[in-house]
Amino acid sequence: MSDSQSKVINSYLTFKLGEVMFASHVENVIKILEMQHITVVPRTPPFMKGVINLRGNVLPVIDARIKFGIPPTEYTKKTCILVLSIQIDDEHVEVGAIVDAVKDVLEYDFDKILPSPGLGSKYKSGFIEGVMKVNDNFIMILNMNTVFSTEEIIDLQEQTEKTVEKLKKEKSKKKVI
Amino acid sequence: MDIMEDFKQKFIEEADELISNLEASLLILEKKPHEKEHIEKVFRIMHTLKGNGGMFGFNKISEFTHNLESIYDFVRSGEMEINKELLDITLLSVDHLKMLLKNGDNLGSDLQKTHSNFTSKIENIINRKLMGGNDYSIEKQIGYGDNSAGLFSGNAANRKTFYIKFQPNEYIFNNGTNPLFLIDEINTLGTSAAVAHLENIPAAETFDCTKCYTWWEIFVATHEKISTLDDVFIFVEDDSKIKISEIAPSDLFLNHDFKKYIENLQKSGNQFNIEFLKKLPGIGDKIKPVAEETPEQPEMTAQLPVVGKVKAEAVISSIRVSSGKVDLLMNLVSEMVTLQARLNLYTESHHDPELLSIAESVQKLSRQLRDNAFSISLIPIGSILTRFQRLVRDLSGDLGKKINFIIKGEETELDKTIIENLSDPLMHILRNSLDHGIETPEVRLKNGKTEEGNIYLKAFYSGSNVHIEVKDDGAGFDPEKILQKARLKGLVSEQAILDKSQIFDLVFTPGFSTADAVSDISGRGVGMDVVNRKISEIRGEVVLDSEKGKGTTVTIILPLTLSIIDGMQVNIGRAAYIIPLYAVHKIYSVSHLVIQNAFDNIIALEGEQLPFFSLREQFGVDGDPPEREEIVVVKYENRKVGLVIDKVLGEYQTVLKPLGKHYKSQEFISGGTILGDGTVALVLDTNKIISKFSNNTQIMEESR
Repeated sequence: MSDSQSKVINSYLTFKLGEVMFASHVENVIKILEMQHITVVPRTPPFMKGVINLRGNVLPVIDARIKFGIPPTEYTKKTCILVLSIQIDDEHVEVGAIVDAVKDVLEYDFDKILPSPGLGSKYKSGFIEGVMKVNDNFIMILNMNTVFSTEEIIDLQEQTEKTVEKLKKEKSKKKVI
Repeated sequence: MDIMEDFKQKFIEEADELISNLEASLLILEKKPHEKEHIEKVFRIMHTLKGNGGMFGFNKISEFTHNLESIYDFVRSGEMEINKELLDITLLSVDHLKMLLKNGDNLGSDLQKTHSNFTSKIENIINRKLMGGNDYSIEKQIGYGDNSAGLFSGNAANRKTFYIKFQPNEYIFNNGTNPLFLIDEINTLGTSAAVAHLENIPAAETFDCTKCYTWWEIFVATHEKISTLDDVFIFVEDDSKIKISEIAPSDLFLNHDFKKYIENLQKSGNQFNIEFLKKLPGIGDKIKPVAEETPEQPEMTAQLPVVGKVKAEAVISSIRVSSGKVDLLMNLVSEMVTLQARLNLYTESHHDPELLSIAESVQKLSRQLRDNAFSISLIPIGSILTRFQRLVRDLSGDLGKKINFIIKGEETELDKTIIENLSDPLMHILRNSLDHGIETPEVRLKNGKTEEGNIYLKAFYSGSNVHIEVKDDGAGFDPEKILQKARLKGLVSEQAILDKSQIFDLVFTPGFSTADAVSDISGRGVGMDVVNRKISEIRGEVVLDSEKGKGTTVTIILPLTLSIIDGMQVNIGRAAYIIPLYAVHKIYSVSHLVIQNAFDNIIALEGEQLPFFSLREQFGVDGDPPEREEIVVVKYENRKVGLVIDKVLGEYQTVLKPLGKHYKSQEFISGGTILGDGTVALVLDTNKIISKFSNNTQIMEESR
């Protein structure tokens, strides 16, 4: 029963980092918070922004920009904290991710999702689950479980650009034919 | 069906406890094989286990314990001696019982094999006892069973006649006891006659078939002692009225008139009257003055309800609560403490005297509530020590070593989460002591020690910590060899000069203990890094001290509790931190210039040299420090170290929350706590901070 249900839910939350759109399956997103005071934990990597109070519990917060290798900017009114539930080693862990803006919740057919194109062994494509095409724009669906469980900084910008380039090339090829 | 499952679950929990009690009692019995009290306890536990097991469908357990019980019945009656072989097999049976409990009646083929193996072993013992012990037990058995033989063989002279008044509790059937069996049992002890009193049985419409309305008067002539008769009622004595008294020093059943009198009673259902007996020709003079107690009897029964009341109080003096409920309580208390901090903050900014007094009362109440909820979640460390006794016993046998294992302070209480995490590390440490610490008897004698090695396990409170000390008088460590090994492994540079405690700390370094090291350094250090890691996970500390040839002491220092601590709130820059209050020794206010100009991070305060660290510097906080900073002096091992912070704000009840997996590599923060304004403050682990930062400076010095 739960199987068929999870298949029915094919909604994706889209958000912006810099100029690039990303998406996360809604099952990972618990809630969206406004930007608030973050308690800094000293001696941690720069993308580990600190901790906040989430309903009486301590929630670690990660700056997604820094995590993805995008130069950090000032926080604006649109900056949000996505509270995510991810799985690390069979354990459900809650973590906050700071993103530039939350855009939309999209219904998107699971079958229409394009597989993430191979990017050569240099990049771990495990971070990108697939690609959605909405109004001629490509949106990367991120695998939140892998993205927020590694301790490294992911050069996502590079990955994204390459992915989009590749997809566009394939498309133009098709047009030529 | 669900109710049955529920009961089953309860039985499993209870049986688990019974089995571990049994194990503990057996281990005591091993040391004091003649203490009746412990034999009785073992027997009682087995009996309960048998009864309950049968009731809840654990037939295998029931059957199995029945056989064990038979053996201990022999022991109880003094027909069998407790010896090592018997205890060995009983302890193994206890292990087997655990397996049976886990698997219910559906045994796998392997388990089935061990089960039948054990059963036959135990039956063997019983059979051997019954056959081999012929010469003296059979004789006794004649005395038991064959009444008439006893009567005419002149034994009658040794017999006494007893009067038993047995008024079972109405609810006696509820725990599966059949009073008639007890009377039958009395019958096997000699000549007896019972008078049943039925006058309490109500009319059919109010009759409740689950209740026992009958009571009995029993007369028995036997050469057994009164205590033997007492034993018959051992399982019902708690809730039934039982009075046993000797009425004559001879066998009254030999007297025709007495017999007739009893027969009369049996027919009429009248109560026994000792006065009438006294008038009987031929035996009147033999009747003991005990008879005069009879008038007291109503008094005694009048007292009994009081006894019952006391018992009832004793029953509710402790209750079983599932650990889930306790966890929930702790969570709620934590939330309340957090909420109370918010109330305090609000009160401070609103100058309302009434609000202030309410806030103060709430604070007082929540503090009491907190302390109380805590004490509930504390359990004595003794609860995990039984299995260690067992471990020492079994391992020392395997290793051919003689070891006294002495436990002190098993009543010391610790948070249950800590206790749960303590058992593995303790096991490691004990194994080390057994395996490598204590020498074989021959070696010990050669070194001028007693043949028997000693391992002491001592638990005690020290401030807000609990210390657990495992001490042996074995071979001990050789610091020189440890240092050599560490240098060989590149863990320490060749030039480094380490004192003794620093050398022993090396044992805890991961990678130090390898198979190679086991043979080189008196074999110690197996898994000590694991011990250290496990203990640090519960915010504890392990300290090792040893003297070559004399023995080793491993001390585990643990916090009393994990979730709520008294803390002191301090500010560094704009961020708030909490320092655990138990670590704080003194606070000084010092000008920033003094700190800035201090040489080598040492400052003189009240004539003492005090090493210090500026947390502002160490944490890389932006901005300028205030003109006057404060130094919090904290105790670190046996030294005092100062931590420089901006300002001390005050005491704060801290509900410790984990920072989560993402910060697991963050060693010197033990967690976060929610402040009154809803922001998060970090709780500092002062020990980790100092050891980490002082190591850093050491490395810096070395690299210079």
